[in-house]
Order: sequence, then structure tokens, then C-alpha cells
Amino acid sequence: MIEFDHVTRTYGPKTAVSDLTLAIPRGELFALLGPNGAGKTTTIRMLVGLLHPTRGAIRVCGHDLVKDPGAAHLHLGYVPDEPCLYDKLTGREFLWFIADMFGMPRRLAGERVDREIEHFELGEFADDLAESYSLGMKQRLVFASSLLHDPDVLILDEPMVGLDPRSVRIVKDLLEARTREGMTVFMSTHTLAMAEEMADRVGIMVRGQLRFLGTIAELREQMALESTTLERLYLELTAPRGSGP
Amino acid sequence: MTPRPAPSDTVRYLSFDAESRLFLRLRATLAWETLRSMLADSRLRLTLVAVLSGLFWAALYGLFVEAFTFLDALHAGVISLLFNAFFSSLMIMLVFSTGILMYGGMYCSTEARLLLTLPARPEMIYAHKFREAIWFSTWGFVLLGSPMLAAYGVARGAAWPYFVLMLPFMLAFVVIPASLGGICCMVLVAWMPRLRVHALSLGVTAACVVAIWLGWSMFSHTRIDTMSAAWFERTFATLAVTEQKLLPSWWLSSGLLEAARTQRDGSLSLPALAEALKFLALLVANGMMLQLLAGWVARLAYRRGYSALAGEVPARRRRPLGSFDRFLGGAGFATGRPLRLLIVKDLRLFRRDISQWSQFLIFFGLLGLYFVNLRSFNYNNAYASMIGYLNLAVVGLILSTFTTRFVYPMISLEGRRFWILGLLPVHRDQIVWSKFLFSFVGGLLPCCSLMLLSDCMLGLSWWMIAQHELCCLMLCMGLSGIAVGLGARMPDLRESSPAKISSGFGGTLSLVISSLFIMLVVVVAAVPTHLFLLASTLGPAFSAPEGLLAWAAGPWAAVLSLVVVAALGAVATVVPLWLGLRSFRRLEA
Repeated sequence: MIEFDHVTRTYGPKTAVSDLTLAIPRGELFALLGPNGAGKTTTIRMLVGLLHPTRGAIRVCGHDLVKDPGAAHLHLGYVPDEPCLYDKLTGREFLWFIADMFGMPRRLAGERVDREIEHFELGEFADDLAESYSLGMKQRLVFASSLLHDPDVLILDEPMVGLDPRSVRIVKDLLEARTREGMTVFMSTHTLAMAEEMADRVGIMVRGQLRFLGTIAELREQMALESTTLERLYLELTAPRGSGP
Repeated sequence: MTPRPAPSDTVRYLSFDAESRLFLRLRATLAWETLRSMLADSRLRLTLVAVLSGLFWAALYGLFVEAFTFLDALHAGVISLLFNAFFSSLMIMLVFSTGILMYGGMYCSTEARLLLTLPARPEMIYAHKFREAIWFSTWGFVLLGSPMLAAYGVARGAAWPYFVLMLPFMLAFVVIPASLGGICCMVLVAWMPRLRVHALSLGVTAACVVAIWLGWSMFSHTRIDTMSAAWFERTFATLAVTEQKLLPSWWLSSGLLEAARTQRDGSLSLPALAEALKFLALLVANGMMLQLLAGWVARLAYRRGYSALAGEVPARRRRPLGSFDRFLGGAGFATGRPLRLLIVKDLRLFRRDISQWSQFLIFFGLLGLYFVNLRSFNYNNAYASMIGYLNLAVVGLILSTFTTRFVYPMISLEGRRFWILGLLPVHRDQIVWSKFLFSFVGGLLPCCSLMLLSDCMLGLSWWMIAQHELCCLMLCMGLSGIAVGLGARMPDLRESSPAKISSGFGGTLSLVISSLFIMLVVVVAAVPTHLFLLASTLGPAFSAPEGLLAWAAGPWAAVLSLVVVAALGAVATVVPLWLGLRSFRRLEA
């Protein structure tokens, strides 16, 4: 579903992502971990087509994101770290705009809008202007909009920021259900507990390079630290050279 | 794992028409909601904008009717030259302004980031942002151009088709420079991202050089023969450069002149109307062609440019004024140190915010350019003094727009950082005083320098210069007091956008009070001086006024007027600041 083929991205002399090769199959929930400045956001932005790779190619459902971004975007849903909404649209109007943008038939769009409003408990304020929403409400609306068209691939950048515990539970349950149905999830997060709880595989990125790729069990095996927590393993892997965890 | 329907079953790539309609619907909804919330929340501002625009339009219209009646009788060919010069200048300004607006909308807005992650065509996103940019461009253009064109039609006795065609001509024209601005913006960002600042600077410099050259060639060596036949001849020869037939401004001017042409008996001339329609068609066709070209460029360059721009590494800047900041923060008594540090912090924010200092530089720079050219005209004492006071009013009005736009929101903007300031050993009064001093000193230097320049160019006496400088001092003090005081009295601590804060009720009130204060100061100072100078210049020819006016024309009235100006300045400073300080002390963040 998602393929990174020797992807490199530079910012002037600095290499943010270096020769990343990664394939994520259908129905997998993949968590990308790494310290600040590791290249996670650059990877996500390339995956949604905002940034072009300096070298290499990224494909979503077989569509190259640089050569055919429109076709790739039909399969994508994206939840950014900061919600982008129109302040002067109501939540419902925003959902309809997104549904229309994906060319969904009117009847189906209406059903999906109602479905997501119910899933994310947006009913109370769906007809208020988005400018009056709190950060958590905005984030829930963005989640709802990203799932409207039942995307094959959902990309989440720090998805739980601003969400209350109840909304976090809603999102987790929804992600589990959707991945069981075959949706692929690519998630960047700092919340190790969430990665441990939900991810089928994790990737740990350090200074633009994928330092580890595999399951949590494989990580424990590789680090020969059978009983330790993911936090300890993570700190071990991402520690600056020459220092301990 | 249950099978999922293929995306093609539920989603599809929209057709051009459907996508275009969707964006149009979005624009209409956003415009309607914006208007609705303006009507609900900013009625005062909306009314003020409408009334002032109406007054501005009417004043310009009256001025142009007089001018066209005079010029038409003098030489009909002058009108064509003036139209060409006016529209070609506006054309250049529209290219730059739309280019800058498109840059902000397409590359720096969160909306663009959202749209680029959706299956939207780049050319449609361009068209969507273009509609937004062209609205801003057209508004100013129509406000400036329509009174002139309406006045010309009235002065010339044009038939009704001229008035009907006026707006379509203007709209068709605006699309051309606006599209050029959009195309230049996308090309620069995509293929020359590092060069865009240099290219923009080069373009602005070239435009300034041309403007200065035109101004210089018109007004140089003209101390003796300004407004003479020779001066007119030389000016026309210089302006003839704007009459190139390939310029859209020439098509617009020619089309409008043809549309205004009538038969000898004053009735509609059909051949002239047909000619005008041909020019309109030429403008429309070129506008459409440029839109197609812009769409093609967007398809090729938009995503690429966005990515290239995001990949730029900001150069590590040197901070050459760091030592000045350190000096300012460290000098003086220890008790005043928090206040000075707050001023240094605001100074740094001002220096690093291009939108603030560039507007400051442009407005005061243009004013300076105009003042430098004042020497070209010869005036008698009374006339020069009147121009001096008008210049004082202009300086005050420009300063008031800055104090309203940038100083008024300063206290509100501290709202998000209130926890920092709240935990520091800083008294709340010091926050308010620091904003006042920052605004007062920051406004005083350019305003007093500009007034000195204006007065020297007008050849005014030292007494008049001192009087203007005192008025300027009071204006800077009062305007800063009004903006800071009202900003502290009515803070909006939840809003992060300074534009939204200044456009609210408090900001509008600050602008209205500032304008009234400027008018009061200028009228109080100007009337006695002007009457006195008229009496001394005209001598016996001056019809002596009676009563209060007679006293006002005397020498003591000028002195008393200055005392009143000082009192007005003190009231405008102290009262709002007192209200603001009292309210800010009680504020719960």
C-alpha cells in the first residue's frame, strides 16, 4: 500500500531523510518513532505530497506521489499535527466540502457525514462555525474528515495532540476496526505507549535514518533486553552516540 | 479481514467543471459567512469603512470634475496622456500587489497546505486563490479609478454606454496585471526560490527608479516655469512613454475615450461605441489567455514550488543590532530595567516582522519622496503654511493607522504569553508604559524628521517649524496614548491575529478617536496662524474679519492655540492611559 523506494530528502546541506526504503502492506498499523528532528515530519509530508523527495520515489496504492498526486490522494486520508480548517465554515459544511472534493455521490456523502459526526460525537457543535471550536474539537473534526471517504491509507501526524481521554479511546477503537477491515495506517508519534499498544510494526528513525524496523518483540530480541519496556529500548536506540539511556 | 470496496466505487476524481463549481461554492460560502460575522461583530468598522469610502469617492469625484473641465477646455489630448500614465502606473502596482498576495495565499497559508493534501488540481487551487487576491486588487483599483472615470464622463457629456461600460472595462483590465503577478510569483518560487527576494527587490527598485525618474524629469529645473506651457510640453513628452500600443493600459484608456466620444449634437456615436467594444474584447481576450497560461504554469509549477520553498533552509542571520539592544537594556537605573527589557523585546519583534517595518518604510518613504518634491513649487507664505498643516495632518493620519494596526493589539497579543509576564517580577503598569514609550519614541523620530523636511522644503520660518514640531510631538504622544490606553482597556487575550484585534470594536474606536484628535490639533493650530499669515501677506487686500475671527487673526491667538494643542495632547495621552492602566491592573488572565 505504501512504498518508499530509496527516498532521500535534503534541506540545503542537511539531509532530513536518508535513503529510506520501506514497504507497508494493506491492513497494517505502522508507527514511526524518533526524537525531535529525526525526519518523521519530513517523511509524513513527503507521504502526503507536500514535499517532493530529492531522490527516490514514494508510491501509495501503486501511484507515484510526484508523477500522479491526484490519483494517490484519492486513496489517502491525512490528519496533520495542527488541524487545518476553514474558520468560517461549520463542521458539517467542512465535512461536505471534503466529501465533494473526493467526488462522493450525494446520498453516500450524506450518509458518511452523518456517520462520522456520530462516530466522533460532533453532533452538538457540527452546525457551529469552526472558529468557535477548541483544539480537541478541531482535531476530532479533522479525524472525521480524513475518514469520510474510507481511505485505503490513513496518515496520522501526532494524532492524539489535544484530544481528551474519551476521544483518544474513540480514535484507538476506530483505528483498530478500520485496520481489521484492511485500511493501512502510517502514524508518527511520540507516545510510546500508544505505539506499543496499537502498532503492528514500528520504525525508529534517528537523524534521518531508519535505525530499526520490526515488531516490538523483534526490537526486544535485537536489543537483547527481554524484560525491559519500550521506553527503555527506545531511549537505548535513539541516544546520542557515546551516551547511555 | 473483510474485503474493502475499491476507492473507485465510492470516490472519483472530479471533472474540471465540478471542481470549479465546488471551489466557487466554497468561496461564496466563505464570503457570505465573513460578511455575516462582520455585520454581527464589526458594524462600527463596516459603517466607518463605507462612509469614509463614500466621502473619499465623492471628494475625488469633485476634484476630477473640476480638473477635467479645466483640462478639456485646455487641450483634449492631455486626457489621453493622463489616462495612460494613471493606468500604466496602476498596472505595475497591480502586478506587484497581486504577486505578493498570491505568494501569501498559495505558499504560506494553512488553506493551501490543506488543499494540497486533497485530490484538488493545482490549477484549481491557483484559480481559487486568484479570486481571493483579485478581490483585494479590484477593490482598491475601482475605488481610485471609478471617480476619475465617472467625472470624465460627466465633464465630457458622455452618453449612457460609457457609464455602463466603465466597470466591465476596469474588471477586464485588472485580470491582466493580476494574472501576470500570479504567473511571476509561481515561476519565481518554482524555479528560482532563492532568487525570489532578490527578484522582488529588483522589481521594486526598478519601479521606484522609473517613478523617481519620471518625477525628476517633470520637476527638475522647474523652479521658475512650473505650470508654464514649456513645463507642460516637457511633462507630456516624458509621459508619452506610457502611450505604447502594446500596453493593456493603452487599450483601456483608448477604449474608454472611444466610449465617451459622442456626435457633435451630443448623441451616441455608434462607430465610437463599436471601437470601444473592440478594445473591451481585446482586454477580455488577453485576460482569458493569461488565465489559461497561469493555469498551465500552476499545473507545472505549483506543487514543485511549494515543495522547493518548504525545503529552503533559513539563512542563519546575524543580529547586527544586538549590541544596541544590550546597551538599551543595561543603561539607566536598575528599577527601570524591566521596562527597558520589555521595550527591547518589542523592538526585536518589530525588526523581525517584515510586515510591520516594510509598511512603515513604504508609507513614510513615499511621504518623504513627496516632501522632497515640495521644493518644485513656489508658494506665498500663507499657502505654504496651509500645505505645511495639511502635511502635518497626513503624517498624523499615517501614524494613526500604524498605532491602530500595530500598537493597539500589542497588549492583547501579550495574552498568550501572560503566564510568562505574570510570573516575572514585572508590575503590570510597566507592561503598559513600555508599549507607550515604544510607540511614542518609535513614532516621534520619523514624524518629526518628516515634518522638518516638509517645512524646510516649503521654506517656512523657524517659528512655523517649531510650531509644527510641537504639534507633531503632541500627535505622537496622544496617538500612542489612545492606542495603548484603549488596547489595555479593551484587550482581547484569546485572539492571536493582530489584524483581527485591530479590526474589532476597540480598534475601530481607537481609529475614530485618533482621527478626531488629529483634526482637532491641526485645526486649532492652523486657523490662527493661517489667518495671521493671510493678513500679513495680503495687507490691505485682506478683508478684515470681525469678532472672534478678528481676534483669531492676531498674534496672541497663535500662541494660545499652541497652549490648547499641548493641553489636547496631554488629555489624549493621560485619559486613555489612566483608563487602560486601571483596567489592566484588575485584569484576570
